[in-house]
Amino acid sequence: MPKLIIDDISVAVPEGTKVIEAAEQVGIHIPRFCYHPALGSVGACRVCAVKFLQGPFKGVQMSCMIEAADGMVVSTTDPEAVDFRRHVIEWLMINHPHDCPVCDEGGHCLLQDMTVSGGHGMRRYQGKKRTYLDQDLGPLVQHEMNRCIQCYRCSRFYQEYAGYRDLGVMGIASRVYYGRFGPGTLKSPFSGNLIDICPTGVYTDRPSRYKGRRWDYERTPSVCIHCCLGCRITVNVRYREVVRIEARYSPTVNGHFICDRGRYGFFYASSDRRPRKARSGGAETRPKNARDEAAHRLEEITARHGSGSVAVVGGSRSTLETLAAERRICRQLGWQGPSLFTGTEESAAARRAAGHLTTDLAVSLEALKNADLILVAGADPINEAPMAALAIRQAARNGAHIEVIDPRPVTLPLEYVHRPAGTDKISEILRGLGKPSTEDASGDIQDLAARLDQSRRPVVVCGAGKIASERTVEQAARLARNLRRAGKKAGLFFVMTGANTFAACRMAGDPADLETLLLMIEDGKVRALVVVEADPMSEYPDLARLVDALAKLDLMVVLDCIDTETARAAHVFFPTQTFFETGGTLINNEARIQQARPAFAGGTPISQTGGGSHPPRVFRDDIPGTEALSAGQLLMDIVSALSGGISRSVEEFDGVAPEFSGFDPVEATGERGTWAKLPLRTAAGPDSPQMGGETPIKKGELLLVESVYGTEALSRSSPWLQELESEPALTLHPEDASRWGLQHGDRCELSTEAGALTVPVHTSRSTAPGTLVLPRHRRLRWQVFQHFRSGLDTVRIRKTGGEGA
Amino acid sequence: MSSQETKKYPSVLLQNRHPDRIATLDEYRRSGGYEGLTALLGAGNPKQAQQVLLDANLLGRGGAAFPAGKKMMTIAENAPFPRYVVCNADEMEPGTFKDRVLIFADPHQLIEGIVIAGYAARASHGIIFIRPEYEQAARIMEREIEVARSEGLVGRNILQSGYDMEIVVHRSGGRYICGEATAQINALMGVRPNPKQPPPYPTTKGLWQRPTVVQNVETLCCMPHILRNGAQWFGSLALTENGAGTKVFCVSGRVERPGCYELPMGVPLKEIVEVHAGGIKNGGRFKACLPGGASTAFVPARLYDIPMDYESLKQEGFRLGTAAVMVFDHSDCLVDATVNLLDFFARESCGWCTPCRDGLPYIRDLMKRVEAGRGSTETIEKIETMCRHMWSAYCAFAPGAVSPVQGLMAEFKDEVMAHVEQGGCPFK
Repeated sequence: MPKLIIDDISVAVPEGTKVIEAAEQVGIHIPRFCYHPALGSVGACRVCAVKFLQGPFKGVQMSCMIEAADGMVVSTTDPEAVDFRRHVIEWLMINHPHDCPVCDEGGHCLLQDMTVSGGHGMRRYQGKKRTYLDQDLGPLVQHEMNRCIQCYRCSRFYQEYAGYRDLGVMGIASRVYYGRFGPGTLKSPFSGNLIDICPTGVYTDRPSRYKGRRWDYERTPSVCIHCCLGCRITVNVRYREVVRIEARYSPTVNGHFICDRGRYGFFYASSDRRPRKARSGGAETRPKNARDEAAHRLEEITARHGSGSVAVVGGSRSTLETLAAERRICRQLGWQGPSLFTGTEESAAARRAAGHLTTDLAVSLEALKNADLILVAGADPINEAPMAALAIRQAARNGAHIEVIDPRPVTLPLEYVHRPAGTDKISEILRGLGKPSTEDASGDIQDLAARLDQSRRPVVVCGAGKIASERTVEQAARLARNLRRAGKKAGLFFVMTGANTFAACRMAGDPADLETLLLMIEDGKVRALVVVEADPMSEYPDLARLVDALAKLDLMVVLDCIDTETARAAHVFFPTQTFFETGGTLINNEARIQQARPAFAGGTPISQTGGGSHPPRVFRDDIPGTEALSAGQLLMDIVSALSGGISRSVEEFDGVAPEFSGFDPVEATGERGTWAKLPLRTAAGPDSPQMGGETPIKKGELLLVESVYGTEALSRSSPWLQELESEPALTLHPEDASRWGLQHGDRCELSTEAGALTVPVHTSRSTAPGTLVLPRHRRLRWQVFQHFRSGLDTVRIRKTGGEGA
Repeated sequence: MSSQETKKYPSVLLQNRHPDRIATLDEYRRSGGYEGLTALLGAGNPKQAQQVLLDANLLGRGGAAFPAGKKMMTIAENAPFPRYVVCNADEMEPGTFKDRVLIFADPHQLIEGIVIAGYAARASHGIIFIRPEYEQAARIMEREIEVARSEGLVGRNILQSGYDMEIVVHRSGGRYICGEATAQINALMGVRPNPKQPPPYPTTKGLWQRPTVVQNVETLCCMPHILRNGAQWFGSLALTENGAGTKVFCVSGRVERPGCYELPMGVPLKEIVEVHAGGIKNGGRFKACLPGGASTAFVPARLYDIPMDYESLKQEGFRLGTAAVMVFDHSDCLVDATVNLLDFFARESCGWCTPCRDGLPYIRDLMKRVEAGRGSTETIEKIETMCRHMWSAYCAFAPGAVSPVQGLMAEFKDEVMAHVEQGGCPFK
């Protein structure tokens, strides 16, 4: 540990620490523009100059470029260094437009701060300012190049850190330009981070333009709910409207960045289509009436058919509190469920994954970056959990070998080996790799087995849900355990299906999934359904069957914050609060419990109630749109109105499940989110009994998959993300395509007994032969296939148009 | 002095120079060409070649004057392969045109130099990185490389020694900064040609993270002669104790006969101007010169007798640079000349670091105001402070760019102040 003195303060720091970082440890913030902890040091902006008085370096040097060494004496306040920094800022400012009063960065602008604190108060340069033409970078990011101070953060993030090439640096000297070769929408699903890392207002948030200034916003730390990773975010609210999401630094989850789905998926919360009123029989009603009616009818049904005739259907976008309330109600009242998964296989895979995750194997998103070999099996990171792709890229940049075993044409912004294998082959390959000796591995995976053998920190990234089967999960866990036993610092990282899937695995009752529950509805055993923050009619792959089953119900009560098809089909509907209003607890794919506080009190945005007047003046004594309660609270309210019902606080976890007794999420998570104490075993136990092999796919298989935009339940209503969606298409191997006389660019009709849809055809050689891939896209009526993985013997494929036809 | 008889010095690098054509392989061979390489590949070894280059005190001719032998020796014995030799023919320093003349005179001299350097570094690939304006020179090199290949001098199994080396010609995108070694390596890899601060040095991690030796055309051209005639001979070519070899001086500006002159290292400045370049044009008076291209400081008339070698100039606080002598006479406004140079540097900055990218245009703006008579003592102070701060820029570009300004302020302050006091340029 080198020891050095910075401004008369002695500090010891780990080997390799830069002086600028060492100074931070003793509370000295040396100015910086190009330096960013995630991007590292490059020495471009020269504003972090300090004076080295003693030690191996002398004179004015850049504190970001020099590693702390024993005997260094550094002064940040030396007049020579101060004068140099003042000049650097003066040079940076010679072309800056000084448009702070109309700049969205104003108020939280690093350049503003540095200009003022650096002592450059008066403009001395009398020459002309250089100006640029801006580009249209798409719906998310606003470009204003004149403000640029050429720190290179954007191009370094975009190209080096994130691995996309369509934005970069052009030109030289004082004409250096950051942008695209021509105007156009940014291709990276991480483009919003440009806004966060730009030290001034070159890239600003486009959807929140003109909605307010930084100091106008209510800013609350929260957790993203658009995938299983649980990235930390900051929610910005103004006038009862969520207007902007920013990345919030988390040392263990997302680091400094988030993806665009997480940043721009929040539109549902303030949408003018968001349901604000309870409904009964399709007509708006008072909340109390709806509650009484629901309770009354539930009582009637249980009186006639027994308590087992009511079932709760939930989902993984609910908080732990809501899921616990569902579970407690089902247990205490003898209701069915809660059914928190869509399909039987999905439920089995997810629950097995949650069961296999142990404290020694589970790796955080941040720790994924330190792996030296990452095996991605049955997962498509960019589409299912985008930030995982970014973490894998960082591992690759550090020299890790990345290998993907998946039937889909997985694309990652990095160099990797892709083995397109059918879903039935993934677990077999993993099992081959998991054998104790490399020699046992069969020919085509021998090189991968050898690499695993040589690796020291391998991580298995595995899907767990609709595509990766329970067997795949089992073999992935087994492989990780074997690697651990072989003395490696091996890790296991499951890509789950929803924000709170891990919690759902713990809270799901019997039946755990809708597919099984459907049978009970169909044979008349279940007569009433309480659907909480779930939308089976958009999520279930066999819509016709579902509709038939739902028609048999005596009652369907739906609680949700968005206006779904299921909500519209409900007999009684209750609006609920969004996660922004309720806050709550989420357990991410790593079993990390994270808590969010409410970001605002709720209510209809003033932009909608004010009728466009400015300032909005509507005089009334209540806040419109505040009827909604949290789903958990609503559920408890309904149940407490039942005779013999239960009345408990939503925040109580006792009696839910043994592992949650005495559980207090606030205490468990603290400020930053800690380990789940309850759900995890601390070390790998003995292998679970060997499961049988996969059922081989006979004629081929059609997979219904997730895509980064357009499939996730909440973000798919975001108009900005909708602009980024590519037209959903069927992807298959070109040789398979020729079987049906199809070519890339053709259109084809996919039909089953339940219906048909027409989509464009994409061919890709990285799709596994025999596999057809179709996104569960909001623009497609894909709910005709019965299963998320369905055999091609049930699907007919017909060409309906050639290229240009 | 113009009446003085022109001294006869041995011609080494330009011995085969013809006014109207390039030297052929046969001509080059007749003058001893490829003998050094033949001997080296026959009985020598890479270490020996490195040692003789070090002993010869061959300093890099591209401007930085780093000992060529020492550079080779920084490649670790166990460093990975493949290794590369990059011949820097991206000659863009204003006033410098020696590399072009060397290629046009005797291309095989350069090819032999590259192969020798390659052998010394155990490199398998040589790349001639050439400025795009030198298209004709690039074509000459491409053609002559093929001639050499057909004679077994380049390619596989060179001279039946078992040593393989391929040489290719790569045309630069055409920017001044591409002449900087680390920027050149970036340019070759297809990324932005920003310089890269060492460590690691290119000889450790250069082109595609492999050991890479970047040498100037003239440095490489010296190598065959050193190998053939020995280190001691090379040292004896110079007129001064510290110098070694000959130097191709590019003389331009207010002289009767501008051009390339190969003269011994350490030849007095006055002799270059007055004897070889035919004296100041139209009988003018020598006022100053830039001794080594645009990124060096003005040498004033009081140092007219200075021996032109790296060490002598360094002792007086100057740099020999590329030995491009740009001569100014009594009628030239040096403020105006400096503004002109700043125009070049402000335009050619790679844009990586702030002092260079934004500071140079600022200094240029201030200098223009001085030239136009709108400067004040405060302006001069500002210029001097900023020039001082330029030395904390990322690479050597900005310090080089302000060298003429700082030289102007140090030696010709009166002329600068005359602009301020008269409210205009005294030369106009």
